[in-house]
Amino acid sequence: MNQTAKYQNRIELLQGTLDMLVLQALLREPMHGYAIAQVIRDRSGEVLSVETGSLYPALHRLERQKWVKAEWKLTESKQRAKFYQLTALGKKQLTTDHQRWLQMVRAIGAVMETEVQS
Amino acid sequence: MRWPWERAKENLSEELEAHLQMAIAERVADGEEPAQARAAALRELGNLPLIEDVTREGWGWIWLENLLRDTRYALRQLRRAPAFTATALLTLAFGIGANLGVFQLLYAVILAELPVPHPGEVVRIHAARSPFDQSWTISYPAYQRLRAATPDVPLIASAYAEDATLDLPNRASIKAACTLVSDNYFSGLGVAPAAGRLFVQADERMGQGEWPVVLRYDFARNTFGSAQQAVGQHILLNDRAFVVIGVAHRRFLGDRTGYAPDIWLPLALQSTGALTVPWDSLGPGHDVSLDKPWYNQPTIFWLALTARIPPERRAAVLAHWDQVFRNDREVMTEATADPAVKAALLHVKTGVAPLSENGMRKRFTGPLTLLMALSASIFLVGCLNLANLQLARLHARAHELSVRMALGASSGRLIRQIVLEDALLVLGGSVCAFGLGRAASGILVRWASNRNSLFTFDLHPNLPLAALGVGLMLLSLLCFSILPAIIFIRTGVAQTAGSGSRIAGISQTARQRFRSNLMLGTQVSLSLLLSTMSGCFAATLVHWETVDVGMDREHVLIVRPELHQPRYTDHSEMLPGLYSRIQERLQALPGVRSAAVEMCGGIHCGWITSLYVHGRSDLTDAQVHGQEDHVGLGFFSTLGIPILRGRDFSSSDTDKTQPVAIISRAYARQLFGDADPIGQWVGYVPAPNDHKFMIVGEVADARVNGAEREAPPVVYMSINQNPAPVNSIRVRAVGDPRQLSDSVRQALHEVDPALPVSEIVPLATELDGDLGTEKLLARLAGIYASLTLLLVAIGFYGVMSSRTAQRMSEFGIRLALGASRGHIEMLIVGQTARIILVSILPGVILSIFAVRTASHFLYGSVSANLLVIIAASLVLASAGVVATLIPARRAAYADPLETLRGE
Repeated sequence: MNQTAKYQNRIELLQGTLDMLVLQALLREPMHGYAIAQVIRDRSGEVLSVETGSLYPALHRLERQKWVKAEWKLTESKQRAKFYQLTALGKKQLTTDHQRWLQMVRAIGAVMETEVQS
Repeated sequence: MRWPWERAKENLSEELEAHLQMAIAERVADGEEPAQARAAALRELGNLPLIEDVTREGWGWIWLENLLRDTRYALRQLRRAPAFTATALLTLAFGIGANLGVFQLLYAVILAELPVPHPGEVVRIHAARSPFDQSWTISYPAYQRLRAATPDVPLIASAYAEDATLDLPNRASIKAACTLVSDNYFSGLGVAPAAGRLFVQADERMGQGEWPVVLRYDFARNTFGSAQQAVGQHILLNDRAFVVIGVAHRRFLGDRTGYAPDIWLPLALQSTGALTVPWDSLGPGHDVSLDKPWYNQPTIFWLALTARIPPERRAAVLAHWDQVFRNDREVMTEATADPAVKAALLHVKTGVAPLSENGMRKRFTGPLTLLMALSASIFLVGCLNLANLQLARLHARAHELSVRMALGASSGRLIRQIVLEDALLVLGGSVCAFGLGRAASGILVRWASNRNSLFTFDLHPNLPLAALGVGLMLLSLLCFSILPAIIFIRTGVAQTAGSGSRIAGISQTARQRFRSNLMLGTQVSLSLLLSTMSGCFAATLVHWETVDVGMDREHVLIVRPELHQPRYTDHSEMLPGLYSRIQERLQALPGVRSAAVEMCGGIHCGWITSLYVHGRSDLTDAQVHGQEDHVGLGFFSTLGIPILRGRDFSSSDTDKTQPVAIISRAYARQLFGDADPIGQWVGYVPAPNDHKFMIVGEVADARVNGAEREAPPVVYMSINQNPAPVNSIRVRAVGDPRQLSDSVRQALHEVDPALPVSEIVPLATELDGDLGTEKLLARLAGIYASLTLLLVAIGFYGVMSSRTAQRMSEFGIRLALGASRGHIEMLIVGQTARIILVSILPGVILSIFAVRTASHFLYGSVSANLLVIIAASLVLASAGVVATLIPARRAAYADPLETLRGE
């Protein structure tokens, strides 16, 4: 797959879902920004790409809302990086976001299916 | 010091840098060339500074960061234009400060209420006017009866005593203003103590060894360091022992606006004679014993009444008091022989008057309102001036601003920066203004005060004052910054950016020029108004300072000896001898033309009396009443009062011979019309005792109650026929009376080494010291006028400099084409001249209107003051022209080659 194809396959993230994706990515372990972007890209089969210009404002926003907390640590390659970790408040928020998202997927799905049948 | 966001910013940079490094590392691990990997990673990452900006916006303090950055930028801009900054700061400081200072005084005199709970309930009780002084005072027995009639209504009595001498251990003695008050004074008004306690009923007990006193807060602090330290102090007042029992609340300055007693004392103290208290009675011939206690004398009227009555109970209480007071009214009618006055006296009903209805308010409401209006106009002139300077300044910055706009700065941000710059100025100016206002109101009080009695007002900052200050700050910011900035950004820069012409020299459009001309013109008009008022007030002051008072005001010295001591009062028969020795000794001094003693210590002194003419029963009270003074030999020649008819007192008039009197022209006209008064018999009381004195002389009128007041009718009696301690010795000098002070003091010491002299003051000073209102108006208006004149000059200079700077190349071409330098100068000066000519007409109309409105405070008619208006116009015009000549000369004498090379 060449670069262009890879780019074309990506789709823009739905408004408001970035926060949920970031929180989900952090569910298992603390991560730095670069890793979060990688995780989202990898898990989405390279479809979802998070722009750096959206990721960092989002991370800082989550930090201000106390959904994640951050500390500076060294990576495996001895690179100093800011690691984000999910807080209890963040876990609660993730659950809410996830449920609302599922609701929306079902609702949109229902609407789309009706359209197809008619 | 590091701001918190600076650290966060570095952290963010590091975080993004780490991201980049990891991206590069991964690409290198995937086998890419390091350089290529870096470029690709950077491409993928996007615009780093933009990401940082977007992220930081989420932090929430970006506005603060911007504000600080803008502030730093604004400070730099202000430092780069020191002349503008200084002008703006001073203009704002004076413009706002003047308003605050005058308002502070206006508030204290007119608007402020008594600082007690429910001040509206406290009212003056007007039972009856005393027969001679016409003051609302009653006797002590009457007060007791009224108070007993309504035990649940706090009825307060007070009497202002003459200043007393306060002696403290190891300190020079000071004069203290004293007021006698009833025991319920503080409790009735609702005043809380700042320290110690206030009066209770037991304090009225007679025969106390050490009388209790209460001090005013500031007086206690100035004298003893603090209110707490004052309590329990033992003091000597007029050589009598007192103990300070408490200090009143710091905001309480007494119940009379302007007159703040230093010391409050119990009423009962009167009976000790420790203090001199003004009084009135039924007049000579009626039985009063001033030396005996007054508390059981129903014909000595000396107590002013104040009460706290809720409005709904007023009518009932007053009606009740009227009944109780009936008897006293009848006693008071004995003071007059005039049946109409007698009937009127009996018909008077007891009434109330608000505390705010006082002489202070009557006297100063007009002048202070006028000054407030003048202060408002100086503020307006200041704002207009700054707005104009601001527009000119923005024009000079047009290039910079348009470049910044072209580079993407939003017009909102630019306006914000400009406004912030000015907000700093306004803030700085206002801080100065508050300080200036505070100082100014203190100075204004001193100017407005009489020479001998300094007014005391509560000049603490208050809410209305703060509101006015902030309001003026915002108004000035709006006028001189926000509006010009918006106008400029909307019009100026947009045009500049669109035009392909040279940016630095954008010529003003006709509309912009008209706008700034209009602002300059308004300033000229207002300035003319202020100059005219200042001129008129100055002329009025000069008039009263030089008006013929019927006395030789320039050469007379008033010497005040302290004769009220037992060694003189107990041997009054010795006094005529002492007076004659004093006169002889003083007249022997070189430079002294004559000397004489007088009962009165200065102006406003003659006491009110009545003269009934033998054989005339048709005289009304208005004819009978006049002033009385007792004078020594040579008094009239010493004061320079001419004798019109008859003779002066002579050494043959003694207490053994027929009592004689000399009356002034006004009194003679009042009693006898144009008939000759000499040889007429008069007395203090109606027939049968109306032939006690024989009139032996008639003298010209003299304004003994002050230069501004009409000469009163005065009867002069001989001090040698009524021996008593005098309050002044008048000395008429050949030259400047001031130079005689030392030799006079020395001479008096030689005559009687034990006689203290409390004060020596020229008559002119005494008379001028009485012109408080006139001085206040003249001085303040003078300051305002010179300030606006300066502002107008600065305004013309600033605007014309900016205009000539923009037209330099045009002038260069004109010069190159053969225009003379004079022609160029005339081009610029002509602009100023046109503005001034056009705006003088509305200014004159405004001035005439103002002079008419203020005619009450001015001497002379509108037409007389027209001369002042013309003079003010000329001064203003020349100030404008001179200010314009500087940039005009600069333009005319610039080298045309030099300016054209810049093209």
